[in-house]
This record gives sequence, structure tokens and C-alpha cells, in this order.
Amino acid sequence: MVKAIESCVHCGFCLAVCPTYNVLGEEMDSPRGRIYLMKSVLEGKIEQEDAQPYIDRCLGCTACVPACPSGVQYGELLIGYRGQSEAQRNRPLLDRVQRTMIRETLPYPDRFRLAAQAGRIGSLFEQALPEQMRAMIGLLPQQLPPAQPMPEIYPAKGPRRACVAFLSGCVQTVLAPDINHATLRVLAENGVETIIPRGQGCCGSMMMHIGETPLAQQLARKNLDVFPTDVDAIVTNAAGCGSGMHEYGLLFAHDPAEEQARAFAERVQDVTVFLDSLGFRPPQPLPQPMKVIYQDACHLLHAQGIQAPPRRLLGSVPNLTLLELNDGGLCCGSAGTYNLEQPEIAGELGRRKAERIIRLGADAVVSGNIGCLTQIRTHLEAKNQAIPLYHTIQLLDLAYHGAI
Amino acid sequence: MSLQPQTIADVQDIVRAGGHLLPRGGGSKPGLSTPTRGTTSIELRNLAGILEYEPGEYTFTAYAGTPVAEVATELARNGQYMPFDPLLAGHGATLGGTVAANTAGSGRYRYGGVRDFILGVRFVDGQGQLVRSGGKVVKNAAGFDLSKFMVGSLGRYGIMVEMSFKVFPRPAVYHTLMLRYGSLADALQATFRLSAAPFEPDAVDLEPQPDKSCQFLLRVGGLESTLPDRIDRLRTFFNDQSAAIDQAHILKGDEETALWIGINEFEWTPSQTDAVVKVPLSPRQVVDLDRAVPDSIRRYTCAGHVAWLAVSKVELLADTLTRLNLTGLRLTGEPGDVILGSRLGLSMAQRVKQALDPAAVFGEA
Amino acid sequence: MNEQKRLSVIKTPFLDALREIYPADRLLAGSVQALAYESDALTAFNARPQAVVLPETPDEVIETVRLCSREQIPFVARGSGTSLSGGSLPVAEGIVIALNRLNRIKRIDAETRVAVVEPGVINLDISRAAEPYGLYYAPDPSSQSICTIGGNLAFNSGGAHCLKYGMTSNHILGMTVVLADGEVVTLGSASLEGVGVGPDLVGLFVGSEGLFGIALEITVRLLPKPERYCTVMAAYDDLGTAGDAVAQVVASGLLPGAMEIMDRLAIKAAEAAVHAGYPPDAAAIVIVELEGETRQVDEEFKALQAVIQASGARHIHIAKDADERARIWKGRKSAFSAVGRLSPDYIVQDGVVPRGHLGHALTEINRLSREYGLEVANVFHAGDGNLHPLILFDGNQAGALERAEALAGEILRMCVALGGSITGEHGVGMEKKAYMTTMFNETDMDTMKAIRMQMDPGLIANRGKMFPGD
Ligand SMILES: Cc1cc2nc3c(=O)[nH]c(=O)nc-3n(C[C@H](O)[C@H](O)[C@H](O)COP(=O)(O)OP(=O)(O)OC[C@H]3O[C@@H](n4cnc5c(N)ncnc54)[C@H](O)[C@@H]3O)c2cc1C
Ligand code: SF4
Ligand code: SF4
Repeated sequence: MVKAIESCVHCGFCLAVCPTYNVLGEEMDSPRGRIYLMKSVLEGKIEQEDAQPYIDRCLGCTACVPACPSGVQYGELLIGYRGQSEAQRNRPLLDRVQRTMIRETLPYPDRFRLAAQAGRIGSLFEQALPEQMRAMIGLLPQQLPPAQPMPEIYPAKGPRRACVAFLSGCVQTVLAPDINHATLRVLAENGVETIIPRGQGCCGSMMMHIGETPLAQQLARKNLDVFPTDVDAIVTNAAGCGSGMHEYGLLFAHDPAEEQARAFAERVQDVTVFLDSLGFRPPQPLPQPMKVIYQDACHLLHAQGIQAPPRRLLGSVPNLTLLELNDGGLCCGSAGTYNLEQPEIAGELGRRKAERIIRLGADAVVSGNIGCLTQIRTHLEAKNQAIPLYHTIQLLDLAYHGAI
Repeated sequence: MSLQPQTIADVQDIVRAGGHLLPRGGGSKPGLSTPTRGTTSIELRNLAGILEYEPGEYTFTAYAGTPVAEVATELARNGQYMPFDPLLAGHGATLGGTVAANTAGSGRYRYGGVRDFILGVRFVDGQGQLVRSGGKVVKNAAGFDLSKFMVGSLGRYGIMVEMSFKVFPRPAVYHTLMLRYGSLADALQATFRLSAAPFEPDAVDLEPQPDKSCQFLLRVGGLESTLPDRIDRLRTFFNDQSAAIDQAHILKGDEETALWIGINEFEWTPSQTDAVVKVPLSPRQVVDLDRAVPDSIRRYTCAGHVAWLAVSKVELLADTLTRLNLTGLRLTGEPGDVILGSRLGLSMAQRVKQALDPAAVFGEA
Repeated sequence: MNEQKRLSVIKTPFLDALREIYPADRLLAGSVQALAYESDALTAFNARPQAVVLPETPDEVIETVRLCSREQIPFVARGSGTSLSGGSLPVAEGIVIALNRLNRIKRIDAETRVAVVEPGVINLDISRAAEPYGLYYAPDPSSQSICTIGGNLAFNSGGAHCLKYGMTSNHILGMTVVLADGEVVTLGSASLEGVGVGPDLVGLFVGSEGLFGIALEITVRLLPKPERYCTVMAAYDDLGTAGDAVAQVVASGLLPGAMEIMDRLAIKAAEAAVHAGYPPDAAAIVIVELEGETRQVDEEFKALQAVIQASGARHIHIAKDADERARIWKGRKSAFSAVGRLSPDYIVQDGVVPRGHLGHALTEINRLSREYGLEVANVFHAGDGNLHPLILFDGNQAGALERAEALAGEILRMCVALGGSITGEHGVGMEKKAYMTTMFNETDMDTMKAIRMQMDPGLIANRGKMFPGD
């Protein structure tokens, strides 16, 4: 943490890309301001409690990291700081209830499914609930799709070019099980055999980001145990999980499992990166021309620097034209649990994103993260726009099967 | 009465002695430099000469009374020029007068006006103190920029005695493309279309004609080897727009040079009796202004950003300018009211006046 | 009770009056909030204001300034706080007027090439908005992705591409300002001639470092995007030779759009930050960019190549496409901040020397660097003779800052002695006010003070800046 703080030269370059600064235009809600506040807390100049609202408002989107010429590792700083401060902080009751709900449900698909269904019922009372809880409920889909169990192995189509292990994730399994199945099919089309290790669970990255370090470790440890080491890659289709798992080394710093965690992290690849480097086999042409906006998920673009591969995959589909939002990959406001914890800012970011999308005009919006898709759908719907949304892999899957 | 200081110290002595003073350079803009009764003229023509000129630096420093023609000749010897295109060089305009009156010609379109090329100034304030502002290097952000403030100051805030300028390498050759449009509005449209085009003309002038048509002049400078191609492209560009009523005509060589010298020397003004008035404006205001002054000879330079009017009834013009919320500067004619129409920022100017010349030795703000 | 709540009950007549103007979320009076605003990009100075306000309309700014004037409370306007000279450093007993929410682009008139913007608009956002019309806003400080047009105006900021078309001042045509005593004046116009008649008040206001008042609305000039860029990167074995090369290009009669130098340390830092593709083993690189009509640029390039080849360059590289050009510039523009990778602290100097003395000045800086035992990285606007030595030090070491400042002082004095200036574009601010008297004599200084007194009799606007002993 000290290193990250010391290398900040207070130049302000990161302000331009920070979503909260874009919305609020105040120094405390900028990366530079937050670093300064964290520094001051650590130096004992100010109370942690007073700085907390501004640290809480950080989306953790890490857009500020690649923007920083001085190489400040803001993401690491934030995780370290939140881990440290969470232990000491005194949250108001409502916050605590909500966090407990998040902690106890999100990482566990079965519980989340139940909670989500309960949430729908709860929406009957939505007006009576406080703002934060309402935000949680507003994001849930009207109807949960039926659960679709995953196989243990999904074979390659034709000769096998590679073999990967797949992280099936948690929230996404419940909200959009189809994305996982689409992933298996697209991998298979490309000659990839996929293993879905039994006993795997949530990757823990969300918990890591909100400062619940012990729980995150507990979840991650399980995955270290069950994932095989003799595969070409550990593949994920969830941006947040991918970036979180890349940080396993950090999560287990000074732990006996550190070495193992680092090796694991090195094998993790987003499915688009894996396919791109393997040599992607383009699907058949779309039946008719289609204009598609690719929305960068923060956890792909900023946290992992993944910009070109998904665009290359999509661009290789005949008849598909990619449109660019040109907003510097500004966060849509989803950011993990953010739209639950900071509904106002998240709402503003979602609105802005939706407006840009509408202005650009497209036949579909594609993103590599379910959180983004949910957030954007909500805000497009609020503007009565029924533009279809897909996960990158879903659109590719549909293209292979001529189903679009 | 007129005094002719030989040195900066002389100027200081004169100012300390008080009275009502009006500096005068070459007298090429009589409306601004002719003293009225009770005012003493300070002739600066003896405070002349280039003090420093380092071609490799693209800068020079000279006394305020130096004729711009002299400077231009010296610069030309080194392939350089004053891109703000000082007016009335042939009438003896000096550097000081050019700065004080802010008289840049059509060529200012390309790189900027007097304000964009002045780097520093030394002037004698209302108490006879010698003050320096700015510097001699091309870039300088130290202190308030009084050298820019002096541009257009009309000698009313201090007597400039020395100034430093930035200069540029001069284009080797110029060609001028001439087109005729059916109306001023059409010609303006042509400049609008030019606005996002990649061409880099040095001057874009519009000359409304008595028959309501409008002459359109486009001056382009550059390397001899590339100019024909560039002009050709321009011609094609305008032919494609096809609003012009005549074929484009291209001027080169001495004829071309003479045309622009004539413009800068006000040869387009019909008679000595008319006053030449400069009016900065937005091209959006050109048509309104033009409609209000049908009897005058007009030309619009800088793609319609500056109007030059030769008028016989100055009072009428003053009313028109006030109505259109524009300001004009009368350069020639009898001394008297030279700033016509509405005045912006006057109260801020008065504040500076208080600081530089509280006793109003140099007249009112 | 948390701080926000504690504060809402603190009552002073001044704060109460501010509460009349601003809702609670736009009046920041907490110590944590003040702390966030205590420095700009020069962290060697800090001061916590008693409050920060976030106006959303020009009228709120006017009301605030009038209130400050009535109560004689000092105020500091702030853009993005990227000043490198302590320009937006708050005054402890005063307030900060943060203009970041006044960030509307009000009008773009493409056909007459002007834009009207609010002061909190980010420099680059003007070019982004003008892009669909084929236009751009020319001055490009390295900080252009975040610095505001108001801050640019206050400092007459420059950038790499100011050689041909000049600095901020050359691109501001008009503005509406509120002077420190609350009077609102409109200066200049939407004409390319700007003020045009009467003293150039726009020219006077630009570069006045926030000491006269606050710009509320600004009319800027736009330029058509050059048809062609030709970006040349030449590597040298020696910094002095690179400096001489720049002087030779200028003397050759070419007028490039930009001409920059980076030395070994700066190259290393920038390369680590953005992988610009700079030659890692060069002692210095010169970046020269020609811009303009294709035919003209291609022809000029031939001449440029000859000059560079004769200048002792070890290696010459020409950007092959727009992407590579963008990378080269990104590296250059990231260089200051990137030096943060090499050292915990640095101060940037901004002196100007006549171009013919560049080689000499760089050699001298090198010597001073050895003498003081402090590393100096150089990355600067060579075409303008505008040096930016970055003096590296570790603020945790006792006396290190003082040594760095002493070295900086020697460099500034050298610049003045060579006939240059103490600042080309970063302004005097806090940092260089002690050196104003090396450039200006007592009369010059008194004259500037007298003008300031007229604009701001209570000395409440940006008190403590520009004038020594203030
Ligand atoms: C990494 C880095 C690179 C830089 N590169 C360059 C460069 O290449 N060229 C260059 O010139 N500068 C450069 N700078 C310096 C800085 O970015 C400029 O000075 C910029 O203009 C400051 O803008 P700002 O919005 O951050 O203003 P601030 O720092 O917030 O304020 C600067 C000054 O302007 C005043 N001010 C702000 N708004 C107004 C207003 N509306 N009216 C009146 N006064 C106002 C403030 O009071 C203050 O005195 C660089 C800075 C950094 C950190
Ligand atoms: S860009 Fe980096 S060095 Fe600059 S303020 Fe932001 S974090 Fe600090
Ligand atoms: S992580 Fe995102 S929200 Fe947080 S400071 Fe960085 S850019 Fe801003």
C-alpha cells in the first residue's frame, strides 16, 4: 500500500477516466483524492470514518490504473485498504443487513436462487423499502430462468485442439445459465474440450473487492483444490471472476498457498482471449447485416487490459459491424455489488451509458459481463428501448447456429 | 505643438512634465495621431532602429518608431516576415503605431494578428516611469501580459518605446485565386465551406461590388514546387461547389504582389475624404452590417471576421454599429471620436488606466 | 455523529451566507473534503480552505465572488488542480471555488470556427466535440485529457503543438469574467480579431493566474485538422547535440507543428508507462512533427530529413501510421507523471531560453545536476526553447526538498541570464514568485501590483500567488 501511495505524483491524469469523478466532479470522489484520503487515514491525519463515504463510492472499476503514467496500483491499494478498514468499521444497521445478505447469498448459486425468488415477492413491498434495498430488487429479473445443470466434460467438435477447465461462476449461473452453455458450445466449435470441475464454487473476487478478505480466501481455497493443473487454461466467461482470479497471488500473499495461487492465476484466461490466441474459427455469415455495440466491461478492459480480442472475435463474424461508444470505456455503474450499495451514482452512470447507446443506434449490445448486461438492460428499459443484449459468447454461439 | 524625443529618457522627461500628450509614429493613420487643440504630439520617428535581430531565434527587438517597411526589408533578407501583415507600410507606418492601432492586414488570417506576435514591450507610463512587460523569447508566462494589452491601446495608456516580436519564415511564393459570387452571402457561404477543409490559405478576402456581386480572393503561400498543385486542388474544390458565377482566375508574380500591397495601402478606398473604419465582427454579422452601409466601400478580410469600411458619414456609421452591438475604429479622417459604436469592457480598461496613467496625461481610456 | 453532520451545525455568518447559495452537497466544509483540495499537482505546498463550493451556474460563481468581496474572504478558483506551480493552492482562511461542474460546451459554430464553453470544460473535450466538424482546439498541454480551459486561460498554458499557432492566449477570442470585486465584464468577441478595437483586455486577462477574477464563459478559436502529419523521431547520443539539432531545424526555415526533446531518464520512464516505442539506449530523442496540406508537408519533409541527417542523429524513425503517431505522443505527454516511477518526488521547472542557447543550457543543467547530486530528467518543448527539467528527490530525506529547490533556482537564474524567462507556460504561482524580481525590476513589479489593486482592491483573488512577499 505504501508503494502505491508513494508513487502517486498527484498529477490528476486518472481523474478523466474515473466514473465517480465524471458524475460528481469533486476531488474526494476521484482516484487522486481517494489515494490522498487513504494516505491521510494511514498516516493518522484523519479518521477512517470520515474518509469512508468516499472510499465506499469507488466502483473498483480500476479504470484509473491503466490511465496512470506513474504506475500507481490503485486496485491493490483499494483491496488492501478495504480489507484493513472493513475489520475496524462500524456500519449502520441497514448496511450490515444488506452486506450480510450479499455475503450469504451471492457466492452460493442455490441460496442466491432462493433469495432472488424471495426478492421478487419482496418487490410487492418495494415502495415501502429503503432506497438501497429497492435497488437490489430492481435489478432482479422478472422471472428466473430454469436451472440448467452443467456436464462434467464437454467434448470438442472434430479433432481436439486444446483442453481447458471452466469456472462456471455463481450469480451468472442463476441469472443466465445459458451463457455457460453457450461457452461450452463455442469452445467445442473451436475444437476445445472443456472440463467443468465438480466441487468448484464462487471465485471470491466480489468478496475481495468489498473487503471481505477471509471469506474470499475461503472461497478461493476451494477452487485451488479442485481445479486440475494439466489443462491448457482455466477459462472463465465472467469478467469479474477473471480479474479476481488473476489476483489470487495477492489474496494469498504470505500464505503457504501463495505459490499455488500464483500458478493458478497465471493459467486463468478470459474465454475471448483464449479463443483469440488459439486461432478463432469464424462462424457462418449472419443472415442479415447487424450493427453491434461492444461495451467494454471494466473488469476486462481496465483490470485485464482486454480490448482487442473480443472485438476481433466479433469482427470476424461476416455481416457484423462493430460500433464504438468512444467513451473511454466508462463504467456503466454495475461494478459488482456497486449498484446495490451506491444506487444513485450507479443509476446516473447507467442512464448515461444507455443514452450513448441509444444515440449511436445499434441492433444489439454485447458485453463480456453479466453485470453490465443487467445494468444496461435496466436502463434501456427505463427509456423504453428494447435493444437486445448478449454476452459476447452468446452472440457467437447464435452465429454458429444461424439462430440470429 | 510637437516634440521629438531622441532617447527613451527624453520621452520620460516629456511625460514627467505633464500636459496632454499623444504619441505619433509615421502618421499613416491620421485619425489616431493628429493632435487636437491643447494636445502635444510626441513624434517617435527618431526613436527608431532594430536593436536585436537573431534570424535563428525568429525574434527581433526594435524601437517603437522603426518603420515597419524597414523591418520587413531586413526580415526578408533572411527569408522571414511578420505574419500579422502590418498595414500601411508604404505610408510610413511604424511598429509602435501598428501595435497601438492594431492594424493587421489580410495576411493575419493564417497565423494571427499583432497580439499573437508581440512578445514584449517597454513603455513610459503616465508618471514617466519606464515599464517592461513580457520578454524577448517566443514563450513567456511570467507576470501580467501588458504587451498584449498595449495592442489597440491607441497611445492612451503609455508611450511604447521598444518592442519585441516573433517572426516566421516567409512563404517562398504566393498565388491568389480569384472567384466571383453572385452575392456577398454566397461568398460567405464559400468561406463557411472552407472552414473544415484542409487548405491553409494566408488570406481570405471578400469584396462586395457595386453590382451586388462579390469578389472572393484567396491567397496561398508556400514552396514553389507545391503551389501549383495546391492551387489546382483549391480550384477544383470551388468548382465542385459551383456557386461562383465566373471561372476561377489565378494571379501570380508581380501582379499578385501588387494586388495585396494595394489592399494593405488602402488603395481600394475611393477618396481622401472618406474615413476608413475597421470593425471586428463574427462572419454571422457580416450580412447585417453590409445591408446597413450600402453607400460605403467595403471589404471583409479574414473570411469575414474583420470589416473595413470607407465611409463619408461617420456619425451614421456610429449609430449603425451601436445598433448592431459592434465596435469600430476610425483610422483616417479628422481627429476626434475614433472609437465608434458600442464599447465592451470599458470599465476594466478604466481600471488599468487608473493604474498606468491616473492623471490622464494620455487622454481618457 | 459523523463529520458531515457535525459540520452542518457549525455556524459562521459567512458559512451561513454560502448555505444560502449552495445546497449541502455542493458546499464542502468538512476537514476531509478540505484535505482533498489542499494541493494541486505541486504537493510541496498545501493549505486547507475553510470550504469548497461547487457552483453549477455562472450566477452562483458571481454571487459567491460578491459575497467574498463583501466579507473580504479570499477565494481561489480551481479547475482540475493540475497546476505545477501551486496556482490552485487554497488560502487557509479562504474558500475554493471548484469549477468542475461548469463544464458545458455551449456552442460550436463550425462554419466560423469558434466554440463557446464554460471554464470547467476539459481541454480535450473541446477537440472531441469539434471533431465531427473536422476542427480541433490547438493548444495541447500534456495534461490536456484533464486540465480545464479555465486553468489554461489563467496560465496561458502551452503544449507540444504551440510552435506554429501559439499558446492559449492566441486561441481565446472573448470571455465573460467576474472581477474580484464582483463586477461582471465581457471582453472580446466571436471574431477572429477578438478585442480588435481598444486595448486587448483578453490578452491581459489570459495569464493573470486568477488574480483578477474568474472567467465564466470563454470563446475559443478552432482550427481545421491538418490534412497530414509527419512525425519524425531522431535518436542522439548526447543531449547537447539534440538541443543543437532543434536550433538547426528552426534556423533552416522550416516551421514544424511541434518539436520536443526527451532525455534518457524521461525516455525510460515514458517507455515503462506507455510502451511508446522510443529507442531505449538513446541519450536523447527529438520528436519533430510537420503538419499541414499533404503536398506541402511531403516537400518540407525532404528538407527536414536533410537537416536531421546532418545533425548527428544516430537513428531516424518516421511514424508509419496514426496509431504509431498517437503512441509517440502519448509517451511524450505521459512523461512528467511517468517520472513518478523513478522517484518518490520531483519538481518540474519551466524556464525558457533563446533556442540558440538550448545546447548550452542543457549542458549546464547536467553540470548542476552532478554538483547537487540530484538526478534531473529533461523532457520539453524544444522548439520554443521551453525547458522542463524534472528534479528528482526523495521528500522523506531531510533537506532534500530544499536542495532540489536550490537547484531549481539556479536553473531559473541561468534562463534569465541567457535572456529567457522563468516560466514559459506553467505560470509563477506559489513556486516561482520569489524569482519574479530576477526578471522584472521594481517599477515593473509595482506597475503590475497597481493593476492588480485596481482589479482586486481587497486582494482576495488568489492571494499569495505571483507576487513575492505577498
Ligand atoms: C503531468 C502534467 C503535465 C502538464 N503539462 C503541461 C503542458 O504541457 N503545458 C502547460 O502549459 N501546462 C502543463 N501542465 C500544467 C497544468 O496542467 C496547466 O497549468 C493547466 O492549465 C492547469 O489547468 P487546471 O484546470 O488543472 O487548473 P488548476 O490547476 O485548477 O488552476 C490553475 C490556475 O488557474 C486558476 N483558474 C482556474 N480556473 C479559472 C477560471 N475559470 N478563471 C480564472 N482563473 C482560473 C486557478 O486559480 C489557478 O491559479 C501540466 C501538468 C501536469 C500535472
Ligand atoms: S494518474 Fe497516477 S500519479 Fe497521477 S494522480 Fe492519478 S494515481 Fe496519482
Ligand atoms: S476504481 Fe474506478 S471508481 Fe474507483 S477511483 Fe478508480 S476509476 Fe474511480
